[in-house]
Amino acid sequence: MDPDAAPPNALMQALYDSAIGTAIRESATLFPWIESAHVLMIAVVLGTIAIVDLRLIGVAAHRRGARQLIVDMLPFTWVAFVLAVVTGTLLFLSNATGYYESIPFRFKLLTIVIAGLNMGVFHLTAYRKIGEWDDRLPTPRAAKLAGFSSLTLWLVIVFLGRWIGYSYPLA
Amino acid sequence: MSVESFANGLYNTPVSTGIREVTWIIPAVQSVHIVAIAGVVGAAIVMDLRLAGVLATDETPRVVVKRHLPWLWSSLALLLATGFVLGLGEPYRVLMNPVFWAKMALVLTGFALTLLFRYPILHPDYRLEHARAARLVKPLAWASLAIWVAVVFCGRWIAYYQ
Repeated sequence: MDPDAAPPNALMQALYDSAIGTAIRESATLFPWIESAHVLMIAVVLGTIAIVDLRLIGVAAHRRGARQLIVDMLPFTWVAFVLAVVTGTLLFLSNATGYYESIPFRFKLLTIVIAGLNMGVFHLTAYRKIGEWDDRLPTPRAAKLAGFSSLTLWLVIVFLGRWIGYSYPLA
Repeated sequence: MSVESFANGLYNTPVSTGIREVTWIIPAVQSVHIVAIAGVVGAAIVMDLRLAGVLATDETPRVVVKRHLPWLWSSLALLLATGFVLGLGEPYRVLMNPVFWAKMALVLTGFALTLLFRYPILHPDYRLEHARAARLVKPLAWASLAIWVAVVFCGRWIAYYQ
């Protein structure tokens, strides 16, 4: 890292020095296992959310609605989201000072907050009325927008996530 | 010609060098690879959990498989294409790595299981209860999911087993 850079943020340094952060950083295997779980969780979130979002956008044409599928599947999406955040936090602790300095990481965090909020809004609005739009094509405009924005946000999260390892200071 | 000398030859080609040297290519292709993984995982979760009797039990297995199988195949194709580009750019990382070969063996197994056990379901006269291997349907559905999960873990571990 640049020796002339500003001293590391005190809070980030404390997180970096934490017992958990240190244990993950110094283990040859902990980071890869946690990271693999993180990737799997992201795949589950994106994969299951894409099914809902494509239905919202009206892409996948059904003769019948997929209401029960969506109702059955969303708990998986939420559990995977929570586990993605948990594994992500553990990964972050192992190099808090480094990730803190990473611009793609900061944008990824921001995008995750927006995606989480977007999921929350979906639950409080369109999801409540799922019976109304589920069997109809084309889907209502609000549903299309929700589906499109959700899918886009998650795709951006994947690209930003990969970019972290290829840019300052992790590259 | 040994695998190593083949990898070496590949490494020195202009295509391979180009993939490595243009900084955004590998992360971008890896990202598409991850998106395609999500495609497989999403489709596999729905189909396998339907067959395991966990999800969407109001729909017949045939409807669920018919809807999601095309996405699985397209995602697998995209994975092979992006994987090929990644392997072309870093031949040592893949060809000389036992974790990569373990991953390929698992992918082949997952692919074969899907081929053997999903296509019969699409036949209009298929009935889950009367299938010849009816007792195997549920355990194989869980096995299928486990295989894709193992593939994801192998995929990440390739980078750490150098």
